[in-house]
Amino acid sequence: MNLQRITAYAYKEWREIARDRLFFSLAFVVPPLLMLLFGVGLSLDVEHIPFVVIDQDHSQYSRDYAARYSSGPYFNLLGQLDHPDRLDTLMASGTVRAALIIPAGFGARLAAGKPTEVQTLIDGTFPSRALTTKGYLDAINAQANLDGLAKLLAQRSGLTEDAARQRLTPVKLAVRYRYNEAVLSLWSIVPKLLMVILMISPPFLTSIGVVREKESGAIFNLYASNLSRGEYLLGKLAPYVAISFLNAWVLWLMALWVFGVPFRGSLAFFALASGVYVLCTTGIGLLVSIATRSQVAAMIVTAIVTVVPAVLYSGVLIPVPSLGPTGQLIAHALPAMYYTEIAVGCFLKGSGMADLWPQLLVLAGYAAALFTAGFLLMSKRPKV
Amino acid sequence: MQFLLTLRDWMRPMLALTRKELTQLWRDRVLLLFLVYAFTVDIYLAGSGVTLQVSHARTVISNADHGVAARELTGRLVEPTFRVDAQAHTQAQALAELDRGGAMLALDIPPRFSADLAAGRQTTIGLWADTSNSVQGFMAASYITRVVSRFGIETGLSQALGQGAGVAAGSLPTVDNRIRAWYNPNQDDAWFMSLSQLLNIITVFAILLPAAAAVREKERGTVEQLLVSPLSPVQILLPKVLAMGGAILLAILLSLGFVLWPIFDVPCRGSLGLFFGLSALYVFSTAGLGLFIATVARNQAQVGMLTILLLAPMLFLSGAWTPPEAMPPWLAHAMVISPLHHFMDIAFGVMLKGQTAAALLRPIATLSVIGCLLFGFGLYRFRRQFG
Repeated sequence: MNLQRITAYAYKEWREIARDRLFFSLAFVVPPLLMLLFGVGLSLDVEHIPFVVIDQDHSQYSRDYAARYSSGPYFNLLGQLDHPDRLDTLMASGTVRAALIIPAGFGARLAAGKPTEVQTLIDGTFPSRALTTKGYLDAINAQANLDGLAKLLAQRSGLTEDAARQRLTPVKLAVRYRYNEAVLSLWSIVPKLLMVILMISPPFLTSIGVVREKESGAIFNLYASNLSRGEYLLGKLAPYVAISFLNAWVLWLMALWVFGVPFRGSLAFFALASGVYVLCTTGIGLLVSIATRSQVAAMIVTAIVTVVPAVLYSGVLIPVPSLGPTGQLIAHALPAMYYTEIAVGCFLKGSGMADLWPQLLVLAGYAAALFTAGFLLMSKRPKV
Repeated sequence: MQFLLTLRDWMRPMLALTRKELTQLWRDRVLLLFLVYAFTVDIYLAGSGVTLQVSHARTVISNADHGVAARELTGRLVEPTFRVDAQAHTQAQALAELDRGGAMLALDIPPRFSADLAAGRQTTIGLWADTSNSVQGFMAASYITRVVSRFGIETGLSQALGQGAGVAAGSLPTVDNRIRAWYNPNQDDAWFMSLSQLLNIITVFAILLPAAAAVREKERGTVEQLLVSPLSPVQILLPKVLAMGGAILLAILLSLGFVLWPIFDVPCRGSLGLFFGLSALYVFSTAGLGLFIATVARNQAQVGMLTILLLAPMLFLSGAWTPPEAMPPWLAHAMVISPLHHFMDIAFGVMLKGQTAAALLRPIATLSVIGCLLFGFGLYRFRRQFG
């Protein structure tokens, strides 16, 4: 390894990048732009679900019961339907996502002190939205039952309604949300966005680097030069790592200033970890570039191995323990999951080196493995 | 007759160019291999590996009571929603487990819990939920809230009215809300995940393949050759879209036939022909986006960066991963320009809801308009650059 040769090569690569004005500006524009878009748009907090009521009972009971659903922020009552026939088209087109059907006899049964049923139809195409809707429905129904039972108990036992309600809730649950006290979706999503964007942008920057020279024939300069494989790879990687590391800082500042997320952990540790993570993600791009023979192939491989896994298998939307066995395997095989833990730990939990050194170690190992693989795949005397 | 002859003369060079593109694709073995991988293995992984429901939420319980009531309550936290595999001796231990990431929920039952309950005194138990993943943490906590409140009602009723006073579940005026999910009654995540992954993969290929095929000519300088040939810009660009679109449609068939239907049992409730026709329309529209990128970019490195700038928001915000209801209204409206947004409505509509072309008129019309605009704009720019 000759440091002078590496810097000379890195400088050549840097000039090549900087002279491509559009590419150079995109390298700095894309990450913050994605951060803004995703920070605003990537959320799973479903509210104002379009909702209709089909009341076939027309009693005071049914009206009171139905009103419970539309009073909160969760459901957006579009109106009453007389018949369920039109529901088909309304649900299919997505105009309505939930429909409450109260059958005739609802009020009469309740008045007689008997249990009764209602039915709610929900749009199940999007499982997570259906699940949230279900949660809201259950909670509202449970509250209705508690109120009804408290009234009943008050009548039978002569207690006041408040006292009866207290008898029915002997166990109070004091729920405390940790790390994200206000359960703000934004706080939980923004630190992970750093991971997502640094998983997408650096590999794309790097993925063209080597294969472009193969396609244009410029790689013969390398074959004929005294630059060794290691020197070539290090020099190639350096400018992309520098750009991506700078972007990591820009994203960090955006998380603090634009999105107002607190940073509670050790900044020095976070900087170190981000550096190693960026080394991993640029390394993925480099490896793809070495393994493919055309630029199209390099771009497509990069898009599929980075963009999708960055969201599915990294704990952004779905926590890793909830993934299936294959999903967990992929999650553990990619650097994203480890950096998610580091980012969430540093931002929200106030953790540092003491808690997160194993993750950092894995990332460092990953970077080393990528570089070794690239070194082995690279050849100065290719067969073809 | 004259018209047909002209048409034939117009088509012939295009067919030749289409063949050339296909040959070029066929010879790029790495790319071809990856095309097959993406449309089969990758979709299988997404469909089998991901569950959105709260399942096996790790719960750690610090129980300082050891009475019957406490055991009865904790016994109600069962699989598959909860997994209680850790018992902590103190609350501090439970919280440490939460900090370590070993558990998502920590439940703390105070001493004298059973005694207080028996005496009819209100008692408080503590629940800490890790909400670094806000939806899951919130959902898991609300499950526990429901379990506890049901436990409370049952205990309270049997105490207040006595065991014999008609407390049996069947004789109280309660409302049971039966919830039924349409289109995916068992809430099978694999249906949704595999189908949305298929749409994502189609999008990646439909943008990148034509864009790269067009810019490659510019980069190499072979575009000059094409320009001196007796071909119009349409005749130069359309074959690229035809070739890549054909390859993608074939890959969709592969994916449906080998992964979605046999492995995940995804139903096709609408017309399969309609699904393919509309997939072709989508590939065409998205290819228009690719051609537009190709006219802006001078080399494939630029194509790459421009592609993520457009592709990532399309994939993330079109509704595959976050429902439009969860986005701020202005952004949800802005996503109308994303072809994927409409194709999601179409694909889920045809496959899961069994919708017909008439019912899907709106997304189909919008998608066609977007496709024509993008294609027209791409052609216009290409003509201006090289005309």
